[in-house]
Amino acid sequence: MSILIKDVSKRFGSFKALDNVSLEVPDGDLLALLGPSGSGKTTLLRVIAGLEVADCGTVLYPEEDITHHSARDRKVGFVFQHYALFRHMTVAENIGYGLKVRKTPKAQICERVDELLKLIRLDGFGTRYPGQLSGGQRQRVALARALAAQPRVLLLDEPFGALDAKVRQELRQWLRRLHENIHVTSIFVTHDQEEAFEVADRVVVMNEGKIEQIGSPDEVYDHPATPFVYKFLGNVNLFHGRMDDGKAYIHQSETEHVVYVRPHLLDIDRVPNGGDHFRAKIKHINSAGPLVKVEAITEWGAVVHVEMSQERFRNLQLLKEEAVFVIPKDVKVFQAYEGPRSK
Amino acid sequence: MSTEAIFHPQAVAVARSRTAQQDPAWVRWGLTLFALGVVGLLVVIPVVNIFAEALSEGVGVYWNNLFADPDTRQSIILTLTVVPIALVANVIFGLTAAWATARFNFPGRTLLTALIDLPFSVSPVVAGLMFVLIFGLQGYFGPFLRRDGYSIMPYVISFLAAGLFVLLFFLFRPSNPQARCGFWKYPGLSVLAGSGVVFGLLFFAQQYFQVWPRNQSLKIIFATPGLVLATAFVTFPFVARELIPVMEAVGSEEELAAVSLGANGWQMFWDVTVPNIKWGLVYGIILCNARAMGEFGAVYVVSGHIAGKTDTMPLRIEKLFQEYNLPGSFAVASLLTLVAILTLVVKTQLERKIPTTANLPEPITTEAQL
Repeated sequence: MSILIKDVSKRFGSFKALDNVSLEVPDGDLLALLGPSGSGKTTLLRVIAGLEVADCGTVLYPEEDITHHSARDRKVGFVFQHYALFRHMTVAENIGYGLKVRKTPKAQICERVDELLKLIRLDGFGTRYPGQLSGGQRQRVALARALAAQPRVLLLDEPFGALDAKVRQELRQWLRRLHENIHVTSIFVTHDQEEAFEVADRVVVMNEGKIEQIGSPDEVYDHPATPFVYKFLGNVNLFHGRMDDGKAYIHQSETEHVVYVRPHLLDIDRVPNGGDHFRAKIKHINSAGPLVKVEAITEWGAVVHVEMSQERFRNLQLLKEEAVFVIPKDVKVFQAYEGPRSK
Repeated sequence: MSTEAIFHPQAVAVARSRTAQQDPAWVRWGLTLFALGVVGLLVVIPVVNIFAEALSEGVGVYWNNLFADPDTRQSIILTLTVVPIALVANVIFGLTAAWATARFNFPGRTLLTALIDLPFSVSPVVAGLMFVLIFGLQGYFGPFLRRDGYSIMPYVISFLAAGLFVLLFFLFRPSNPQARCGFWKYPGLSVLAGSGVVFGLLFFAQQYFQVWPRNQSLKIIFATPGLVLATAFVTFPFVARELIPVMEAVGSEEELAAVSLGANGWQMFWDVTVPNIKWGLVYGIILCNARAMGEFGAVYVVSGHIAGKTDTMPLRIEKLFQEYNLPGSFAVASLLTLVAILTLVVKTQLERKIPTTANLPEPITTEAQL
C-alpha cells in the first residue's frame, strides 16, 4: 500500500513540528525518517498512524483519503520505542489483541499467533509475560503484534532506540530480512544515520519540521542537497570562503560561502604536490582502529580533522607538532546562510 | 563460626555502621523506643481499650447493644446506604478527573487538580455548613425546595437519560467509517437532535403521568440526600488523588497501541486502562470507604440528629456516649475500628501492587545506551 502525504503541517503551541511536509512512499518500500530530535520525524510518523492529527494537509492511501480516519480505522501497525506491550497480557494475548478486537474467530487467532511466534523466533514463549522477556525479545513481540492483523503499513518509532548496541545490530539485520520476506510498506524513525543506511531502501532526512532530502543511502551520503544533510551525516570540517570561477577559496574573513570536507576526503603530505593545499600543524594522532584520525591546526587557527588509512600513515611516519600540507580531495561548497534557509 | 574466618561478617558490619551511620547505639535505641512508646500510648492502647470496653459485659450484651436497639440498628443501615452511594459517585468522578488531568492538557488543568484537594483542606464542619447554606431552609434553594422541590426531578432524570443517550451513541457507532450511513455520519447533529428528543419525551412523560408529587417539600438537609452529599464531598479527593499518579506513571502508550491495533474506546478502557489502574482504583476505594464510614463533622451539621432517622454510625456513637451508654457507644465504635483495621491490612497488601514510576517493569533509559 503506497502512502501520499500532502502539505502536512503540525504545531505544538508555538513550536512548528511539521512545516508543509509532502512525501510519497511507494508500495513495499522500506523508508527511514532520519533527523535529530525535534526535527518532526516522530510527529510525521504519528500523523501517518493517526495518533496525531495534522493541523492541515492530507494523508492519502491510493483512492482513499484517510486524513480524518481515526487511528483504529487506518489499519496501520505501529511499533513504539518503548514497546508499549500490554503488561498484564501474555505474549500470545499481546500478539492476538489486534485480531481479538476485530472479532476474529479464536482458532484463527491461535493459528496466526503461532505463525508470528515462529516468525519472531519466540515459539514456546506464548505464555510468558512481557516482564519476563529481554528488551530485544519484547521489541520482536511488539513487531509481531503490529503485524498480526495484516496492516497496510508498518510504522516503527525508533524501534531499536531502547536496546543495547549488540541487540540493536542483530535486530536491524533481522528487520531488513523480515521486510524482504513480507514486503509490507514500512516507515521507521531513527536519529542514527548508520541504522538508517543499513536498514532502509530510501532515507528521508528531516530538520526543523522540513524534509531536507530524499534519496537512497548512497545518494544522500555522497550528494547531500543541503549543508544540514552534509553535517548531519558523518563528521565534517567546515571552512569559510568564497567562490570564484568555479573554484573555492578558503579564507577566514570571507563568509559568503561555506566549504564542507569530510575528514577522509582530506590528505596529508610533506610536500605541497602542486595541487590545492593549505598548511597545518599536527596536534593529535589517534591511530587505534581501522582509520588513523589526525587533528591539526591550520595557519589561521582552525581545527581540522583528517582520516587516513593505516598504510598511508605508516608510509608518512607523521609526528606530533609536525608542520604538514593538507590536500583536499573533494569538497562541497554551499551558500552561507543565516536564519531561514533560502535554498 | 566457620564463615567468620572467611568473610569476617562482624568486621564488615561494624565498618559499615561506622561509615554510613554515625549515630551511637544509645541514640538509635532511644529514638526507636520513643517512637514505639508514642505509638503504643496513642494508638495501640486506645484501640485495644475500645474492644475491651465494648466486650466488658460479655458477648451477649455486646450483641444486644449493636442489634437490639432500633436506633443503633437504623444508624448501621443508614451508614450502609449512604456510603455506597457516595462511593459510586466518587469512583465515577475520580475516574473522569484522573483521566482528564493525566491524559489531556487543557486550560484550567492545574486549577482542577488544586480544587480536587479542596475537601482535604476545608474543615468538614464548614463543608456541612456549605450544604446547609445552599439547600437548607434559609439557603438559596431552600424556599424553592420546600414549596415544590420535586419539580426539579423531571429535569434531573431527563438530563441523565440524555447523557446516557450520548454515551450509547458513541459506543454503538460503527467503527469503520465506510459502514457509517444515515445519521451515523453526522455525529454532532445526531447527538444534539437525539438527546433533545430523549430529554423532551422523558420530561413530558414524567409531567403527564405525574410521577413526582406536586407542591411538596423535597428534603435534602436533615435527610439522607444531604448525608450523601456531605459524605461524597468530604471523600471525593481519595479516588482521584490515587488514580492521577498511577495513570501518569503507566502513561498512555499502551492505550495508543491498543487504538492503533483497532480497539475502540470501550475496548481500550476495559482491556488496557482498567487492568493497569485497577489496584490503584481499589486502593482509592478502600481509603474512600474508610473515610466515608467514619465521617463525622460534615454529616453532623447536615443530619439534624433525628434518632433512628438521620443518625449515621459515628453520630450514633457520639449520642450514646452523651447518654452515658458507654458499652453501647463502644460497641458501635468497635465496628468502625474493625473496618479501620481491615482497611489497614488491605491497604498494605495493595501498596506493593500499584504501579509507580519507581516499580514499573523496566525503567528505560535510552540515551545512556547510545
